[in-house]
Amino acid sequence: MMGWAMRRFPPGSFGWLLFHEIRMGIRQRARNSRTRVIGYILLAAFVVFGVMIGYGLRNTPIPVSSAMVVGALTAVILSLSFMTTQAMLGAQRTLYESGDLDLLLSAPVPTRSVLLAKLCGIAGTIVLSFAALTLPFAIPIALFNHPGMFGVVAVLVSCALLAACVGLGLTLVLARIAGPRAARTVGQITAGLLGGAVFLVSQILNTSDHRESRVAVIFHRLANSGVTQSWWGGLPGRAAFGDPVAILVMLGSAVAIFVVTGILFQRWFVSGVQDAGQHLSRSKASKRGIERHFRPSLFGTVFRKEMQLLVRDPQIAFQVVLRLVYLGPLLFIGLRSSQHIPIGPSLAFISVAIAGQLVGSFTWLAVQAEDTPDLITVAPVEKSAIDRTKLLSAMALAAPIAVILPIAIVTQSVLGALVTILFTALGGGAAGFIELKLGKPTERKRLNRRQHGSIVTRLVTLLVTGILGLITGGIVYFLP
Amino acid sequence: MTDSALRIANVSKSFDKPVIRNLDVDIASGQLYALLGPNGAGKTTTLRMVVGLTPMDSGHISIYGIDTRRDPLGAKAITAWLPDEPMLYDKLTPSEYLAFVAGLWKIPPAEAAQEAERLLRWLELWEVRDTRCEGFSRGMKQKVALAGALIHKPRLLILDEPLTGLDAAMARSVKDALRAQVDAGATVIVTTHILEVAERLADRIGIIADGKLHAEGTLAELRAMAGSDDMTLEDAFIRLTSPMPA
Repeated sequence: MMGWAMRRFPPGSFGWLLFHEIRMGIRQRARNSRTRVIGYILLAAFVVFGVMIGYGLRNTPIPVSSAMVVGALTAVILSLSFMTTQAMLGAQRTLYESGDLDLLLSAPVPTRSVLLAKLCGIAGTIVLSFAALTLPFAIPIALFNHPGMFGVVAVLVSCALLAACVGLGLTLVLARIAGPRAARTVGQITAGLLGGAVFLVSQILNTSDHRESRVAVIFHRLANSGVTQSWWGGLPGRAAFGDPVAILVMLGSAVAIFVVTGILFQRWFVSGVQDAGQHLSRSKASKRGIERHFRPSLFGTVFRKEMQLLVRDPQIAFQVVLRLVYLGPLLFIGLRSSQHIPIGPSLAFISVAIAGQLVGSFTWLAVQAEDTPDLITVAPVEKSAIDRTKLLSAMALAAPIAVILPIAIVTQSVLGALVTILFTALGGGAAGFIELKLGKPTERKRLNRRQHGSIVTRLVTLLVTGILGLITGGIVYFLP
Repeated sequence: MTDSALRIANVSKSFDKPVIRNLDVDIASGQLYALLGPNGAGKTTTLRMVVGLTPMDSGHISIYGIDTRRDPLGAKAITAWLPDEPMLYDKLTPSEYLAFVAGLWKIPPAEAAQEAERLLRWLELWEVRDTRCEGFSRGMKQKVALAGALIHKPRLLILDEPLTGLDAAMARSVKDALRAQVDAGATVIVTTHILEVAERLADRIGIIADGKLHAEGTLAELRAMAGSDDMTLEDAFIRLTSPMPA
């Protein structure tokens, strides 16, 4: 189908390149058959649910109340935060991982067409992710007598285009400031911070003693500020519910920003691609002796190598920053609320769950995404010994993050903190063990695309760490 | 002690169809042996079975008398494998990579550090010893991988297309390195498509086709088998691997 669409445009034109990008995007998303089937089943369930809601609302008018406008603005702000993170990761993949830029930029094709097609590719990926969550509900409601809801599609596309422009722009600016060597790591850290930005802001805004979700905090703040009374503040809400002028303004603005981004960043994009191929390591040899690298034991050797690879991986930086952004505020909530609200059990549960996730990811990186499995196989060592060492390395790297929440619990119960540390280690170990036993080898770069490992492994890990988390929470709750 | 560095006895391997059929090869120690054959002949599969990367369906393989099935770790301890795609970690420096490989082969740190420095200097990698491999050219990566293969002083060194993608100077230094290993008493087995390399470098040449050893011997012996004493190895190779006319 994409081949047919490409033939409708002159070769090398923007439209031709755009459909090429869409084709590549679809093929890169192709997963194994089991994951695909589960995805289709979930989507079908969403659609059925959406059709039921749409049918149920067919004769019910949907008035555009101020609460709905505030809700739409809240949703747009939250979505833009996640979309920009996705766009930054997409822009980094485009610059540093996609192997086709040398070909495209050496072909007699305008650079701006290549850049705009790549931007559309990034936006398309974002639209696909969010469309799966929103459109199964919005489209059936629109089809059953509420055509204004088609405006959700326009809002979604506008936000995705805007996020793609911001994501690429930020990536290029950071690459220029940080230089080619640090660009990837700085980009991943910024993407992580952006992903958790809404959470951080909501926690800062939440000055009350009672706990409130981040959505509720932002919703109340927006409602109280009266921002949606202004013309631009109410724009997303009016567009989402079908106001044609608002739709035109949102889409028009997004397209204008898209074109301006293409013009502004054309030169930086080319230099970013050129820098991506440069030497990324410092080239000065250390004056210290070479002996410092050598370890007497197998454990020491493998542990050191895994630590070096994990610490130097920009994607790990993203994972770690994202979790720190979420855990930092929780730590302060725990410390602040200790006298009034016993939230120790919740923190204990989260601690075990987060440790499981982290160690699972790190173990996957160390074991399944091993760069040179053949070297390990031809070496005169038992594979099980290597795997054990890799699991311990993953746990050691996750440890500094995993102790954050137990520190908060100490203020409520020292024994509770000790139990949490014990179960956090157990949860991490269990997640790593599951990854060792059930994980499947994949490419390292898939970590941030959440395509790593098998879905079965992730579900089993989720189940086991969930159970351990509940047990921990229960014990901490009943402790004196 | 045995004079045989590598003995492949009656080894077979099938994937969708038979790739190796009752292969018998015996390579004496202390020589450079070139394994030639057309694409898909089974060269790489044979070598991967030797180093334990691909399990054989039947037969026996022994390295310096050590059965690779009975004592895989013992066989691996004296063998090095260098595939055409270097087995490197882009995020490690050459020094760190060599330290990792030395650790896997359990070489004492002091001895390994000394040997690493010697190899890095010899392969002209000393100046970049603390630079991550991710920015290296293919030739430099190949040299780092070669240093990794040599750091544990293997008695049997197996290289799959070691000269692919190398420039003339780099190819020359790799060839010199291989010859030096043989002179030092090791056995080197290489597969190559560059027949000139085999012609100039190898002590003995084996020609494999359709999963079987079609011919083996010195260059002079292969020429004689092909029916002419003054033909090039290329001519002999084509004649020996071409289907016989009916």
